[in-house]
Amino acid sequence: MSLFNPRGAVAIVGAGSPGLFRTSEDSAITLAHKAVNLALADAGLDRKKIDGLIIQIGSPRGQDYDLAASMLGLNTRFNSQTWSHGRFGATVVTHAAMALTWGLADYVLVFAAYNNSQFGRHGSKERPSFGESLREGGGPHAETPHAGLTAPVAGAGLAAQRYFHKFGINPDKLAEVPIAFRNHAMLNPEAVMQKPLTREDYFASRYIVEPLRLFDCSVPVDGSVALILTTAERARDCAKAPVYLLGSQGIHAGPNEFIFGQPGLGVNQADEFDWQPPADQLVYRMAGVTPKDIDAFYTYDAFSPNVLWGLERFGFCEPGEGADWVQNGRIGPGGDLPVNTNGGFLSCGHFNSWFEMLEITRQLRGECGARQVKGAELMQWGTPVGDSVIFGKNT
Amino acid sequence: MTIVITERSFPQDPASLLPAVNADNAHYWDGLAAGELNVQQCDGCRRPRYPIVPVCPYCGGTAWSWTKLSGRGKVFSWVRYARSYLPEFEDLMPYVVILAEMEEGVRMFGRLMDKLDKLPATMPVSINAPVETVIEKWPDGRCVPAFKLLKVKS
Repeated sequence: MSLFNPRGAVAIVGAGSPGLFRTSEDSAITLAHKAVNLALADAGLDRKKIDGLIIQIGSPRGQDYDLAASMLGLNTRFNSQTWSHGRFGATVVTHAAMALTWGLADYVLVFAAYNNSQFGRHGSKERPSFGESLREGGGPHAETPHAGLTAPVAGAGLAAQRYFHKFGINPDKLAEVPIAFRNHAMLNPEAVMQKPLTREDYFASRYIVEPLRLFDCSVPVDGSVALILTTAERARDCAKAPVYLLGSQGIHAGPNEFIFGQPGLGVNQADEFDWQPPADQLVYRMAGVTPKDIDAFYTYDAFSPNVLWGLERFGFCEPGEGADWVQNGRIGPGGDLPVNTNGGFLSCGHFNSWFEMLEITRQLRGECGARQVKGAELMQWGTPVGDSVIFGKNT
Repeated sequence: MTIVITERSFPQDPASLLPAVNADNAHYWDGLAAGELNVQQCDGCRRPRYPIVPVCPYCGGTAWSWTKLSGRGKVFSWVRYARSYLPEFEDLMPYVVILAEMEEGVRMFGRLMDKLDKLPATMPVSINAPVETVIEKWPDGRCVPAFKLLKVKS
């Protein structure tokens, strides 16, 4: 039994970013500084109020919490940091909520700020994370260099290939995902990809690691995002309408979880079985809503099949039905369930969920102009590995 | 059964692609050099497992023994590299990597050694196609598992 009701206890009160860049000339700490100042101004808060700091993506791509706090002149009594990969967006937001509700901090600043462009391509030996792939069990996306298996796209490709086989899916149906997200991106001036993407463009594009094509892969970027969270009570004194955190659940891990695909798909060492998402998922129970109530969904689209796995994981459609379900503009602008309305990792830029957290904040405040989801009240972030947060305009 | 060992030459030293040999995995790597594919098997639930770890992920048992695999399996999934990431594999482009499900149940990643010009251009590999293990001997004697499609007599 919970000791208190976490629903709506915490809210995002500030959000800022100097934008995304294919290549930025700025250092990580300068990118962080710009985002933090924008978030403070957005919240109408003095930086002296910030007493908690959580960084996602630290060394070597970004800056670590200790030097970041001292260099930016923050005096923080709660600090945390997650590894130098993505995937911890919802977890970091949840850690902020936990720190706030335990009274470990009154205003938690969360940021991601990094230069990717100076570190070589994912999968290459120049990438600092290459060493992870030499551990027993290989890298986090199944990297096994002595088999020639490297780069996250290959892990996604192995899962996609098996997924297509298991459910008898025509891989051509994937095209709908990057096209829908490009249509969103063209309504978002911040997105790095702005040119229209047609079916012809998609099918003419080269494979990177078959079965995944160029346009199935996200766009690596440099940039920064900062969010400020506080308790609901303090949130009412900030400059803008609070965006309430209504529910959360964590990343799932274990023998049947692999970063790509879904439980039961059996990629890497996971068992193969018929899987259904649990009818009672904590994030929905905590928020008191169902998938039908969600106005827009956001997911970790490092590669386009992730979108199908994310939708299936949270029960928007049946396992294996995602590819059919997304057709005919259903997840695009004005669709039944707009997904990644900023253009996502595929077209806005791969920033490990932070531009999606920013987008959810702006959408729920009604700040999104041409791409505003009308009447948006509930928005969800959820990934193929089960982590999710639901935000609401109201508690 | 001894698995065939073939030598592979490289344009450059491939040592940076190989995990370090330690007390846990030495038997696995030594086995490859002897033409054997050895994995752990839980003494409790009897399930073979890979990668190498001191506890059974399925039953929690800590007693285990090495077991020798037949080397035969089938394609569980596959990818084909159209973009080169590792200079050591550049001369093999475009190469296929499979996830093989071995007869005994564990899965292993390995390059598919079959010549791609002998395979169909689209969907060069079928899921469930039978494969056998071939061991590649790299410079300095390190050996790594790879796979070949098993010709099924019709």
